[in-house]
This record gives sequence, C-alpha cells and structure tokens, in this order.
Amino acid sequence: MPAEKPKKWKIQTDPQDSGRIKQEVNDMSLTKEQVAEHMKDPAIFCCRRQKGLKISEADLEDPAIFDDMIDAGLLKLSDDGLTIEQVLGTTLTTDVEALTPITPAVLDHVNEISAPAADEKPEETEAAAAPAPVPAAPQITTTTGSDGMIHIEIGKAEKIEGIKLDVPVFGGPAGPAGPAPVIPAAAAPAAKKGEKKVIRTLTKKHIKITDVEIGDETSIKDGKITIDKKLTELALKEDPLCKSLALDVIYPDKRHVYTDTIMDVCPIATKVEGELGEGVTKVADGVVFMLTGVDEDGVQVHEFGSSEGYLDERMYFGHPGCADENDIIIRCHAVIASKTGMTRPGPFAAHKCQDYIIQAVRDKLKTYEGEVVREEVCEDVRREGNPRVVLVKEIMGQGAMHDNVICPNEPCGVFGGQKNVDCGNVPIMLTPNQVRDGSIHALTCIGPATKEMTRHYIREPLVEGLAADPELDLIGVIFVGSPQVNDEKMWVSERLGSLLESLDVDGCIITTEGFGNNHIDFIQHIGQAGKRGIPVVGVSFCAYQGQLVVGNKYATAMVEENMDAGGFENNIAGCSCITREVAARAIQMLKNRMAGVDIKPAPKKWNNDVINANNKLLGLPETKLVESGTLH
Amino acid sequence: MSTLFRFPLKQNVGIGAVPCVIEGDDVHRGQLLAVQGEGLGSNIFSSVSGRVTEVTDKDISVEPDAEQSPEYEKLKKTEPLDLIREAGIVGLGGAGFPTYAKLGKPFEKDGTVILNAAECEPILSHNMVRIAQNPSEVIAGMIIAMDIVHAEHGIIAIKGIHEKEIALLRKKCTDPRIRIATLENVYPAGEERAIVRDTMGVLLPPDQLPLAAGAVIVNTETAYRIWEAVELKKPLIDKDMTVAGKIRGNEEDKLIRVFLDVPLGTPVSAMFEKVGGAENHGLADTYGEIIMGGPFTGKRTSLDAPVIKTTGGLIAAECFPKGPEKIGLLVCACGADEARLRQIAESMGSEVVGVEFCKQAQPVKNSRKCQNPGHCPGQVQKVLNLRKAGAQAVLISNCTDCTNTVMSCAPQLGLPVYHCTDGALRAVNDKLVRRMHKHAG
Repeated sequence: MPAEKPKKWKIQTDPQDSGRIKQEVNDMSLTKEQVAEHMKDPAIFCCRRQKGLKISEADLEDPAIFDDMIDAGLLKLSDDGLTIEQVLGTTLTTDVEALTPITPAVLDHVNEISAPAADEKPEETEAAAAPAPVPAAPQITTTTGSDGMIHIEIGKAEKIEGIKLDVPVFGGPAGPAGPAPVIPAAAAPAAKKGEKKVIRTLTKKHIKITDVEIGDETSIKDGKITIDKKLTELALKEDPLCKSLALDVIYPDKRHVYTDTIMDVCPIATKVEGELGEGVTKVADGVVFMLTGVDEDGVQVHEFGSSEGYLDERMYFGHPGCADENDIIIRCHAVIASKTGMTRPGPFAAHKCQDYIIQAVRDKLKTYEGEVVREEVCEDVRREGNPRVVLVKEIMGQGAMHDNVICPNEPCGVFGGQKNVDCGNVPIMLTPNQVRDGSIHALTCIGPATKEMTRHYIREPLVEGLAADPELDLIGVIFVGSPQVNDEKMWVSERLGSLLESLDVDGCIITTEGFGNNHIDFIQHIGQAGKRGIPVVGVSFCAYQGQLVVGNKYATAMVEENMDAGGFENNIAGCSCITREVAARAIQMLKNRMAGVDIKPAPKKWNNDVINANNKLLGLPETKLVESGTLH
Repeated sequence: MSTLFRFPLKQNVGIGAVPCVIEGDDVHRGQLLAVQGEGLGSNIFSSVSGRVTEVTDKDISVEPDAEQSPEYEKLKKTEPLDLIREAGIVGLGGAGFPTYAKLGKPFEKDGTVILNAAECEPILSHNMVRIAQNPSEVIAGMIIAMDIVHAEHGIIAIKGIHEKEIALLRKKCTDPRIRIATLENVYPAGEERAIVRDTMGVLLPPDQLPLAAGAVIVNTETAYRIWEAVELKKPLIDKDMTVAGKIRGNEEDKLIRVFLDVPLGTPVSAMFEKVGGAENHGLADTYGEIIMGGPFTGKRTSLDAPVIKTTGGLIAAECFPKGPEKIGLLVCACGADEARLRQIAESMGSEVVGVEFCKQAQPVKNSRKCQNPGHCPGQVQKVLNLRKAGAQAVLISNCTDCTNTVMSCAPQLGLPVYHCTDGALRAVNDKLVRRMHKHAG
C-alpha cells in the first residue's frame, strides 16, 4: 500500500465556522506526474526564463490555474501559443518573461505531434481527472445498458469526436467473454456470482392517516390521529430548558402560514416486532412532525442560517428529508430558555420534549390496525462475488446544535440513542436496514438547505439505491461525525481510513451534509480511501458557495447536490440534499470508477448543465434550480 | 549605553560553551573565557584585556582596560585541525557551524573545498575588502582546509562582477588544484547548494549537505581566520563586518562602511558610534530597526547587543512604511522566515491575513530549505491565495528570481509588493529587490 504523508491543512473561509482552508501542496509549476495530464494544454512559462534554457515541466505553469489567472487578468492565451507537448525539450532562443505563452518565435524548434490514431483507447484521449480544486459534478460518459454493456460515448474530446465503444459490464450475468476491464470483481472466485443471501428482513408497514386533531386524549381511530393537548405540558418535564410547547396542524392546502425556524421533520414510526433494523415497523403515512423553535427572547434557535418565514416557501416538499406534497404537518413549536439556542442542551431539549409527544402517538400506532397503504420489505443482504461497497455518511458532530442521535429505542426517536459528539465522532457501522429503520435522529440545524433532517435517513436514496443494486454488494453504512477542531477531523478521518482498509472494500461513496467546515473532513475521507487504492465517489453540496477550496488528487468523481439557482446555501429546508437523482448519478459514477472507466474532469466552475448532461445520460429528470434570491 | 564587552556562551550551531572564569578575574586579549562543552560547540575567548564583571548562564561580561594592545595570548596546539578547534572558529558567513567538525572527516578521494566568496546578501561587502587586503592569506587558509580534508580540488566561487578581486586572486593563486568559478549577481548565489549546483553541476536535495556532492564549503572570512589560527596561533577574537544604513551625518559615500578585525563582544552601539559619532549612538534621528546580518536573512537586534562570531552586518534600516490594513506573507526559504516577516508586518501596522510558502521551500528540521535556490517555481497561485484570503498587499522574502515572478502578477492583481529587504536597501539608497533587469547577471 503506498504510504502517503497526510496533507497538512490550514483553514479556510466558512460562513458557519471560523476556519479557512488552503492547500499546502504542489500547485504551481508542473510536476512530472501532472504533465502527462496536460500535454495538450497551453504552455506558459511560470517565471522569467533565460535564453538557452531547455524547457522542462518545471518551467511551466500548471494549467489547472489558468482559469483563475485569466479571470484575474494575469494571462492572455495567444492564438499562436504552443501546447506543452510541443515545447518540452525544446530550447529557448531568447529571454522570456513570466506568464507569457510560448510561441514558435522564441524556440529553436517545435515538437512534431502526430494526430492520434482513430482506434486509440478512450481513456488515453480523455484527460485523466486532475486534482480538482473546485470539483463540480464531472460528466459521466458511460451508461449501463440493458444488454449488460457499458456504452462509452465521447461527445467531443480533443481531436476525437463521436466515438462509441461498448465495454462489458463487470459481474453482470450478460457479460460476454473477452477482454473485460480490470476490476476487483474480476478477481473474485468464479463460483460466487453475486447471489443474493438475505441476512435479515425489515417490514415497514405504512399506515394510512387522513386527519389529525389536537384534542383531549391521544388516539388513532379510522385514520385520524388525535393528540391530547395536555401532552404539551407533560412533555416539559422531560427537560427544564424547554419552556413551552405548542402543537398545531397544518394541512397541505394551508401551508402559507408563518413558521419559526424549521429544526427537524420527523416521521411517526414505531417498532411492532424486533429491534431496529429487523422485524416489523409501522410508519404513519401522510403525516409528519415538524419541530420549530425560538428562545424566550424570540431569537430563532440556531439563529443565522435559520429558515423562518412562510412554510410554503421554506421547505422543499417531496425531498427525502422534508414533508411530501400531501402530508399533514403536525407542528410542534418549542420555546427554549433564553440564550440557549446556540448551545448543545437548548435545541436538544426541544427534540427531547417533542419525542415525548411523538412517543404517545407511537404507542397508539403500535396497536392501531388501519389501512396499510404500502408494505415495504427491506433486506440486509450479501451478494458475495459482487464488488464490495460501503456508503460513508459524514454527519454533523461539531457540538452545539450540530449533532445526531444514533440508534434510539424507537425509529427516528431520541430516547435510548447515543449522541454522535459524545461518541467522539468515530466511524460507526450500521446495516442498511438499521438506517432505513430510523437509526439516525438528526439534531442538525444551521444551513437548512444542505442538512439532512431525521426523515432523510429513514428513506435515504443512496442507501436504498445501493442496497437494491444487484451488481453491488453493499456491506454497510458508516456514519462518521465531523468534529469542530481540525486536528480531531484528521484523527477521525484516519480511523475511517483504517476501517475502510480492514473492510477490504472495492469501492465507496462518501457523502457529507452542509458545506465549508465539513468539507475539510470530507476531502480527507476521500483521501483516506484514495490513497488505499479504493475507488471513491464524493457527494456534496458544492456549487458556487460551497466550492471545495481544497481538493486532492482522489477527488475526481464528485456528485453535486445543489438545487439553488445562485449556487448558494438558501433558506429552503432540504433543498440541496441527496435526492434519487443524486443517488443514481453517484452509484453510476462509482461503477464507472470501479470498472476503470474514465470520468471527465469537471469544468473549473460550477455549471448545472454538466449535472443535467449526466441526468440525461442516465435517463433521469432534469435538475431544476430554485430561484431563492441568491442568484447574483 | 554600556561600554562592557559581552560574550554570549552560544555563538554557534550546537551547544553553548562553559565559563572558565569568574567574576573579578583579570583577563587578557586572547584568553579563554568559556570552554567548548561536550559535543558540537566552540571555545569563547576574550577579545580585550580587562576584568570579568559578570558571568551568567547566557554570557560573560568584561570591563575593558583603557589601554588595549593588538597582542593576544597564542593558541597552544600544533596540528592545524586542533588549532582550528581550539581557536573556536565557526562558519563566519552567518551559519556558525563549528569548522573543526566540518573539516573533521577527510575525503577518501575526489573531494573539493569551495571557498564561498559569493557575498550574495546586498550591502554586505567585507568579504571583498578582505580579499582585496589579504588575498594570499585567504587562499592559504583555503589550502589548509584542503589539506586537512585531503581535497584534490579547490574552487573559489565569486560573483563575476568582482573583476578586480578575481584578477587579484588569479595573480596570487598558484596552486594548480584551485580554479575560480564565477557566479551570477543574484540572490542567493552564495547558498551552499546553489554554489554546489553552479560550480559542480550537481543539484542536491534540500536535506543534503554539500558533502553529498563531495564538497566542503568554507566562507571567505572563515578561511582567513583558519590561516590566522594555524599560522599566527590566533584565536577567533576579531570579526570583519559591514556597518550601514541610517547613520548620523553620514554622506552618500559613507552609507556602507566596512570594518575589519572588530573585537568580538563590542556593543552594536559602539559600531554605529564609530561612524556617526556619539550623538544618538551615531544613528540618524529616525530609523526603523537595527538589523544584524544581511537584508535577506538578518534579524532585528538592539543597540546593546554584542557583536558575535556570526555578525556580518549591522544595518540601521529606513523607517517602516505604513502598510495596508491587511497583508499577506509569502515566505521563501532563502530569505526572511515567517516569524521575521510577521515582525516586519507588525512594524508596518498590518494584520497578517494569510501566509503562503514558496512551493520550493521544503521543511528541513526546524527551518526550510529551497529545492532549487534562485530558480523560481512560479508564485501566481500563492499570490492568488493571499488575495483570496483578503490581503491588500503582499510582504515577501523571495530570492531575486522568485520576486521577479511575484512582480509579474501581484501588481496586476492590485496588490502592492513589499520585500523584507526594503528597509535596509532604502537606508543605503540601493535599488529595491523587485523586477529583474532584462540582463541581470
């Protein structure tokens, strides 16, 4: 295993935290490794060079920063400028100033470059992904066809246009004999062909709810939930920091109501049989709890980055973490002690007290035999012989209101769970079923658009997509916290690296929520996988505001979550999170990675067209951006 | 200001010396004050006759007699390497590495001793004066070093612009093993690995010493003091130096003055008084700081600090300009380090909002060394980073070539460039380190 020195990080700008990141690695004149990726890029002297110099890569500026240089007015590319491959090894016949394009006039000769042959392999004509300092979603260039082939289609590449190639899909039953791409699965014993072996089953019964009322006793009858209004008083005994609670019911057609900041969206789900991740769980269908909060002084909980406003404008209905279009919303509004809104105990008190109320409803749901609108069977499976993959979900762990409760007693509950921050943010492995049974109760707040709320986890599209994929062997879902302190981030990331190594995975997808501070860990996690030779795909909100100011050479397969027109974090809860489309793109990109199919480097700047081109390739609906006033 | 002579116990790379005198002792010029401890170090001698007034764990102070004689107590050893060690000679170019240790391992074959006569820091010029005055002795010292390490070759590395000194050395040097190699007039032509590269064609990695290329480098004055130790049995008690800058009543032609054989331990103030008179310790009414060393790598000192073995320059710098509110630092391995740049930024009244290191400035032990001294790897990304961090100007410590690159991008980005050498160079009305002339060197 190639030992690589951990990179040193300084800190970077982050609206949420104090940090500022900057990379301290080679990023100027080219290294020998980099130059191979840039042979056809313009050759620019990084510095003044004198007559008689034999040009080597060390004399040339790294093309990766050309866009920044052009933006800053430092560089004007010239029409008669030569490419890097044309100038390497030639001799300078006059002194040349820094940052000027190299033209034939200053050289003793120009290298002859023969046009590439038509049958050249695609991975040689497409630039290998360079360390991407600003990764947006790269263009997927392949699709998996029903005939078990990956179709590689190069729309336009340097000197080659319109080539189509078919490559057998690894591990697929239809994979014909022939030179298969070198992939980990190819080494697996022939006997194991990804046959499904079910370890455990979870049945989620979605029970139809058609109405909710706040009344004098708690009950569920004929599809109607009634909640005893006295519970709002009793619940306060759960935590003295919670000063008052109020419940009201918001019907789908009456959402143009003012709401204080949305702290969470939480389903009503309860165990009927077995532990979390197995047996039977009942989930109320058509209704969710929504927690909102202010402190006694009227200050929004986790003020700055709060989402108060008209509810119909403040939530991306239909996204995994949010209420669906036709859901009835039970709003639980908490007032917590003065000045505790940005502490750990304050917001947690609100979650605890709401959970007390939800528990009363859960207890009724356990015995309510209403209409089952959907029975969802979730399986923890092994598909030995398929590529072993793991999903890594980085979750908030900076303390204050950035935390998560892991594995509570009840699905999506609070009681009985351990807080991620208290666990030291170390990686914790859950089975896909445990995740889908509500093992995570989110305490995340600031930055409502990019944070995953409790409902997100119980129906996380990536978990569902990976678990269902017959070509993969999803061995588990790792949750890893994002600590506040940079040194701790590195420490946690190293633990994750060792875990990934010991799991012997063939690929992984790493996701993060939020942006900025958590991107420091995110990129380290990607590096931990990358340096162990594990194909890795990163999934995050980046876009304009959240561009990764740090990159590393492994961050070459990145999937964008943004849905804001300005590319900013906005105040619409759940807007820029993992959706089905994001998940589908990420899974395909992982397959390409593992199959050794190149992924085109992303353009320097975030561009939603790239994301939609990928959507189109995969037959996914277009990613339509939301105008939230951040566009400028 | 004190007229006491002060002798710090640690004036070298390695450990400090151990006092062998006590308060009240009468001492002579050339008498041992502190003996080299166990390990890498050097003896410390009194450069004056007088009485020991204080011995602390840091230094020994001597009240000099009114009358001083140039005579000194002679060294006792007989063999050259022993004499060098006894004399307490260390690298006098500023590094302070004990010379006996450097010469301690003879080459098996094909070794080279390089005389470092680059004197590449601006302003400093005492090495050239010494060569002009004692060319034969400098060469003789170099030959002693060659003999000690069994070197088959000798190279005198000197900038091509010093035509007079080169002619003199050619005339005086009759040893066929020695050749003269000329260097470009850029900073850091005298950096050890730059010299090895430019005279022997070998580029050493940052963590290797010239020894890896079969070379030992000896500074000009070190060679001269080796000759003194071996031929005259003289301990290291005197030092050559350049005194420059904002000196009182100083005329244009006296902005830079060279003093040969200044007794070690002399207070810094006394050196300025020698040029500018007693008033304000010989300094102009206003000045920014006193630098000990050259403009690139010198450090801030005080008027009551003593001259030590590694003191090469004393420069009274120009007043600091008022800097912008926010400044970014670009640190080069060949010039001022981060701490020094921060000190300058503070004096300019600027807040440091970003620190970048030249890509070639590789961490080696506690400091940084340049991968290829004097050959710029490109600085645009670093300057862009500093601008992104909010810098309104940049303060840099880069070598001549890298500074040229910074000048080709920072001004276009609206960032004024300040250089760590500005204060010193302005004080002597010298050209600032900025863009290079088309035909530099």
